[in-house]
Amino acid sequence: MSVRRVRRGEAAARPAARRVIPGATCAELAATYDAVLIGGGLQGVALAYELAKRGYGRLAVLDAAYPGSGASGRNGEMIRSAFASEEWIGLFDDSLRRWQILSAELDFNVLFTRAGYLLLASTPEALAAAQGNVALQRRHNLHVELLGHDDVRRLCPEMAPAMIAGAVLQTDAGFAHHDATLWAYAQAAARLGVEIHPYTTVTAIGATGGAVRSVTTDRGKISTSVVVDAAGGQARAVAGLAGVDVPVEVFRLEAMVTEPLAPFLRPAVSSPAIMGYCHQTTRGEFVGGTEPDVPVPCESIRSSLDGARDMATKFVRLFPRLAGVRMMRHWSGIVTQTADVAPILGRAPGIDGLYLDCGWVYGFVGAPAAAALMAELIATGRTPPVLAPFGIERFATGELIRETSLVVAAAGESVA
Amino acid sequence: MAKTILCLCRDVTAEDVRRAVAQGYGDLETLKRFTGACTGPCQGKTCVDAVRRLVAELTGRDVEEIAVPPARPPTTPVRLGTLAAKDAS
Repeated sequence: MSVRRVRRGEAAARPAARRVIPGATCAELAATYDAVLIGGGLQGVALAYELAKRGYGRLAVLDAAYPGSGASGRNGEMIRSAFASEEWIGLFDDSLRRWQILSAELDFNVLFTRAGYLLLASTPEALAAAQGNVALQRRHNLHVELLGHDDVRRLCPEMAPAMIAGAVLQTDAGFAHHDATLWAYAQAAARLGVEIHPYTTVTAIGATGGAVRSVTTDRGKISTSVVVDAAGGQARAVAGLAGVDVPVEVFRLEAMVTEPLAPFLRPAVSSPAIMGYCHQTTRGEFVGGTEPDVPVPCESIRSSLDGARDMATKFVRLFPRLAGVRMMRHWSGIVTQTADVAPILGRAPGIDGLYLDCGWVYGFVGAPAAAALMAELIATGRTPPVLAPFGIERFATGELIRETSLVVAAAGESVA
Repeated sequence: MAKTILCLCRDVTAEDVRRAVAQGYGDLETLKRFTGACTGPCQGKTCVDAVRRLVAELTGRDVEEIAVPPARPPTTPVRLGTLAAKDAS
């Protein structure tokens, strides 16, 4: 769901049959749907596709702007499953297996590039922690290698030697193209009859007798008994329409892209030491983002000079040759972050038919699995075991997920 | 056949734009992402008007109805070494 809301004056222009992406519809809303997905980002569109695959019935995806206009088109595009906890490995390795075949499944090239994902350790302590993580990852049959200084230098010859103690390399991970992935799911969903309605803003969720009854939009009211909050940066506001509190804080992340360069960097690289992540695209551009050590909640998507300087400083430190390379563009997106940085997936408490697929920071890599598993939950009523730890109940019970390999600054503390 | 190049940075032709619009990329925001037009070193300064006019023509709208994607900083490409803090090596 876009963070840029449509102004009233523009609303009149909307019905002029604006095709924004293949797969989006210009049709009027129907009076009734079997499920309504709020947010036409990767989560909502992919989940609609998975529900349609199960023959779930008539489905609508609603977005306040164009599909993919929020974080789905602003993220860092990187893909891995080599995390440090059973919970994250379970969900994200399910996703990685789907990424391997996603272009074929959706009949659209999402540019998944299996160039490897390198999680850099810059200190002996970080390398020791990585060693422990590799043991866990191997027990889960992940394709990971623990690399020493020389191995990393061979793989990334342009990386500053002083930054390298070692690394974990996940060999069958990498990156994909975020827009292509959204379009791929959108077209596959549309072929199965899903209606993706752009420029449609949700203004109310009707729930009486403890169950979802309707969704009201600026284009009319819809009857439905199933609603999914997949509204990304607006997820808290959307859940609030149904009286549900989603415990997330909103943070701005900034990213940049340089002019195209001859290939110099093969794998995707994450560096907790600079709180940064980056890769070189198939077009040759160096793309990445860095985060401040202590993030400040911020809902703005204006990019900042501080952000540009932070990225330039840290990426030049990691790859000294980038000092002479020009930044072409710099942008921002917002993420909704929970207390344990893991997403919220499952039923909303107290209201039958309301589901949550939000609170994402690693949403791009996680979407294929989350979509399939959430569709299973919605269609069968049973929570797949891999999904179970991610329910919203954990914030009430205090059973938070402990995951230590994230390149994310947790609010109010510095990151190990 | 002669080619009409609209985006000089990315070699995006008028035909590329026609095909993209025919497929359904009917907003400059999505057309830009699909074709690469306006995403090169000039960031659309050279081509955005030409692309916008063609999209208007192809979709039967006035040029003013076609929203232009927001300009992103920097205004002109800047070396990372220029932006980086002085103490960075």
